[in-house]
Amino acid sequence: MDEDQSAEETTFVVEEITTVIKEAVESTIGNSSYQHSKINQWMSSIVESSLSQLTKLGKPFKYIVTCIILQKNGAGLHTASSCFWDNSTDGSCTVRWENKTIYCIVSVFGLAI
Amino acid sequence: TAALYGVSFSGLYLQQPIQEVYVENTYRMGPEPGCHFSASRTQQILQAILDSYLEGVCYSPDSCSQLCQMLADLVLSKLKDVNPPRYKLVCQVVVGQSGKQGIRMASRSLMNPNTDNYTSAVFHNHSLFAVALVHGLYFE
Repeated sequence: MDEDQSAEETTFVVEEITTVIKEAVESTIGNSSYQHSKINQWMSSIVESSLSQLTKLGKPFKYIVTCIILQKNGAGLHTASSCFWDNSTDGSCTVRWENKTIYCIVSVFGLAI
Repeated sequence: TAALYGVSFSGLYLQQPIQEVYVENTYRMGPEPGCHFSASRTQQILQAILDSYLEGVCYSPDSCSQLCQMLADLVLSKLKDVNPPRYKLVCQVVVGQSGKQGIRMASRSLMNPNTDNYTSAVFHNHSLFAVALVHGLYFE
């Protein structure tokens, strides 16, 4: 175990993760409207590209990426999460993105190994 | 090592120094046999909680955000009782109104398939739907 690892490498940095996720979402559904036939493809693409970008950061973390895509219809949605982990090293971040017809909510949980 | 009780120059009591706790290495590489995260048992617990708490509930924008958070905390507390040692839990609850909209939820994770697992449960009635998703990750 490398005792000299700096604190930056072993704590969850919210800003970095947020940027990565926003990019992944923008590049996949940027300007599209909700299309039922394409939803599966978009979901897989967002989640997989987010996860691969996160692994490229090279930090000793296990990641969970959850993505919810919702059609804008006036219906309400609530999400909540609770976690049993180590507050000093683990963290989560949620990115909300929308355009005229779609809501997209991506949550990332990072747990230190 | 400083004295337990000291008095500083100004006459105020010095705080007792906090002893750092050093935990010995357990040299354990993986969970003990029989102590893995049980996806099927967790799924039963999740489904039971959702069914019992959401039976006959109508969606309302004011109360549902609290309901959602309450469910998440409740699931976590119930799972902590049956949680095997050295497992971290992440629990997400999504509650939404049953309109005519399309919705899709997906999740992917980077974890060790030998020791880690996840499970989910879904509930819906005429006015709302709920999804509970739990991941159990082994802390190496």
